[in-house]
Amino acid sequence: MPSFAQLLVAVVQVLVLVAAAPLVSGFMRVLRAKMHTRHGPGPLQDYRDLFKLMKRQDLRPPASGFVFKIMPIVMPAALMVVAMGTPILTRATPIPAIGDLITTIYLFALARFFFALSGIDSGSSFAGVGASRELTLGVLVEPVMLLSLFVAALLAGSTNLGEIGAAVADGRMHSAAATLLAGCAFAFACYVELGKLPYDMAEAEQELQEGPLTEYSGPSLALIKWSMSLKQLLVVAWFIGVFLPFGNAADTSLPALALAFVVFVVKVVAIFFAVGIVENSVARARFRLTPRHSWLGVGVASLAFVFYLAGL
Amino acid sequence: MNVMSKIRVGATHLAALKAALPHAVLDEAWQTDTQLTITVKLNQLPEAVAYLYYQREGWLSVVVGNDERKLNGSFGLYYVLSMEGEEKGYVVVHAAVPEGKEEFPSVTPKVPACVWGEREVRDMFGLKPIGLPDERRLVLPDDWPADLHPLRKDAMDYRLRPDPVGDDETYTFVNDSKQETTVIPLGPLHITSDEPGHFRLFVDGEDIIDADYRMFYVHRGMEKIAETRMGYDEVTFLADRVCGICGYAHSVAYTNSVENALGIVVPQRAQAIRTILLETERLHSHLLNLGLACHFVGFDTGFMQFFRVREKSMTLAEMLTGSRKTYAINLIGGVRRDILGEQRTRTLQLIGELRVEVGRLVEMLLSTANVDGRVKGVGILDPQIARDYSPVGPLVRGSGHKRDTRVLHPFAGYGLVDLGINVGEGCDVLSRTLVRVAEFFDSLSIIEQALENTPAGPILTEDFTYQPYKFALGFTEAPRGEDIHWSMTGDNQKLWRWRCRASTYANWPVLRYMLRGNTVSDAPLIVASIDPCYSCTDRVTVVDVKKATQKTVPYKEMERYCRDRTDSPLK
Repeated sequence: MPSFAQLLVAVVQVLVLVAAAPLVSGFMRVLRAKMHTRHGPGPLQDYRDLFKLMKRQDLRPPASGFVFKIMPIVMPAALMVVAMGTPILTRATPIPAIGDLITTIYLFALARFFFALSGIDSGSSFAGVGASRELTLGVLVEPVMLLSLFVAALLAGSTNLGEIGAAVADGRMHSAAATLLAGCAFAFACYVELGKLPYDMAEAEQELQEGPLTEYSGPSLALIKWSMSLKQLLVVAWFIGVFLPFGNAADTSLPALALAFVVFVVKVVAIFFAVGIVENSVARARFRLTPRHSWLGVGVASLAFVFYLAGL
Repeated sequence: MNVMSKIRVGATHLAALKAALPHAVLDEAWQTDTQLTITVKLNQLPEAVAYLYYQREGWLSVVVGNDERKLNGSFGLYYVLSMEGEEKGYVVVHAAVPEGKEEFPSVTPKVPACVWGEREVRDMFGLKPIGLPDERRLVLPDDWPADLHPLRKDAMDYRLRPDPVGDDETYTFVNDSKQETTVIPLGPLHITSDEPGHFRLFVDGEDIIDADYRMFYVHRGMEKIAETRMGYDEVTFLADRVCGICGYAHSVAYTNSVENALGIVVPQRAQAIRTILLETERLHSHLLNLGLACHFVGFDTGFMQFFRVREKSMTLAEMLTGSRKTYAINLIGGVRRDILGEQRTRTLQLIGELRVEVGRLVEMLLSTANVDGRVKGVGILDPQIARDYSPVGPLVRGSGHKRDTRVLHPFAGYGLVDLGINVGEGCDVLSRTLVRVAEFFDSLSIIEQALENTPAGPILTEDFTYQPYKFALGFTEAPRGEDIHWSMTGDNQKLWRWRCRASTYANWPVLRYMLRGNTVSDAPLIVASIDPCYSCTDRVTVVDVKKATQKTVPYKEMERYCRDRTDSPLK
């Protein structure tokens, strides 16, 4: 049973992530504008967009069903639960019951499942194609994610994300090479999970008119857009919590948490900066060729497993 | 260059045609030394066109209908063929359709390239092509009265908007696939070009099995307006407005057609200026398309960079013509503005900058991750299909055919410059993009050459008088391919007939074949690779575009409709 302080940390980190998510996507927009040699809007633009959408009418196609209706609630809810269990500020996961790697992966899968289902449920053929792509992408990327995290779990002797992170931070992992490889594979899987170019298949604007988002409007669209930026931030936080936990607070004292917060912000900015550079200097991959990319991830993760078995 | 000399290009084609079809030819006349109009018997029209098309290396440029009842009691049909074999020139096959029996044997079964032209002639003049496989309307909307043919001289005033005869969209999209398919509607507003074109993709999963589309949503009635409302020189400015990107090419084609018809000798300096401006137009048009190619493969950084550099070509246009588009420069007989020494220096400087910057960007584009995978082998245009349908421009050159009006039929100042034809053998989107890149650099060199040895002298001649009922062709190589205009002067300081065929009009019919076998996500890219110009295609009659009623169709319903093909949910 988590202590009150841990519960507080969990709640606070969810609120911080939710509040900061549009800022992160705003930062990505600024970066993109710079690479386009444009002025572009400021980093707060996404808050203004969300605020504007919140005031708009919420329209649903007559052909859509209840899945279409509840998705804008289910998706952020699932992601917020994940956010409670991810070790972001502290080294241990605030709520151990949620901080299990299998739970986390399935909560992400739940969000994806509803996202894709809503596309099929909307009645639009573009949304349908986008939905099937989203699911295919899930099938391709989840094995990489599972395999690399399992290797890390085997090395750390626990499936709890906090435990794995702590093991990495203290250098208690049995095999440095296997950890490194698993980290690389997981980083790749996280990048795909971000839904950034070249892997923004499901929402590809030029190809599918934003896929599953096509039929959403007003507050629902705002919630989904918000959850999508939350998901991006969360995926990065997840990666940091497991493979780059250096500087996280060992206890729940205030100074330690403050320091951990600063370190976390620096790490997030650095990672998103790198992501922005990649995202803006590639063309979208052909959807049909994506399996070739994901095979690379599977290969690296398998290699990590082999290294673990060999004890290298 | 428009003076009639003793050389009569086309004589061998005529002799060969006479030998092949002994009693078909009724009459022949040269409009210029490279333009021959042969009048044939109506019932032998298909054989004559097919013979010249396939046996004498002719390519169909345009089909012109003309209401000549007041002149000779019949409708005129003109099949314009660009002869690109040994003897290069234009041969026009003409046949008269008598009033009262308004039908003619369709050429389309023998020469597929005629399909759009014949559908349009049927819509506009009510001449029935017997044997034309495609019975649908091309230009007129579904709610247009059945017996109102706008381009007949006695049909309607250009201001008339007839009452709609129905509320339903009755146009049927043709699906030739043998298997079960799902329909993906694109349009009536194209998703990424944001232009009006209604596409139907018949797909299985993500694979396009077949596709059909419908254009002509933005008719501006330009031909009707030109014939009933405007004087000769005003049409020059109207022709500019045919297109927002390559309007100058139309203006040159139009003035050329009238100049050819009347035998006007345009001063050499004016010809050189036209060449320079045509190439300036090509610069910004090709940069636009290269930028869009980046956008469609999801590489927006490239898109923005190409647009940044493109601004230099717009600056060039602004300096030379006074507007960011190369508008309002032509008059019949020459041009309105000279290029001064200072402008020449600045032009050469801008050309130098463009060469460096675009070179760098192209290199960057081609080395960008995934670009190759997106464009190679996508949207294949089979060379044989190209041969059958006579597409033009980088599209046909990307499939290995050496077709470039600038080289085959030199016009304006192109006789003065050194120029080759860029062809690609890949037949795919990549190949077309590379042709455009090569042409961009050629354009830079053409402008330099034309500025190096610009002939001295006047820029305009007014030493001519208009004579009634003279007709000829004018042609240019626009950035998207050959633009061709057929003009006939009238007796009231107005054109009797102006047929303006934009390059994209010739390119639409092959698109269907290019879409087949690709995936849904490649469709916008393939459509963009013909560099389509919707408004150019849709220039013809005065039509109030019907507001399609909005209706959302359930996915299941759409699927069912695809299967059963009955009880359309759209009705």
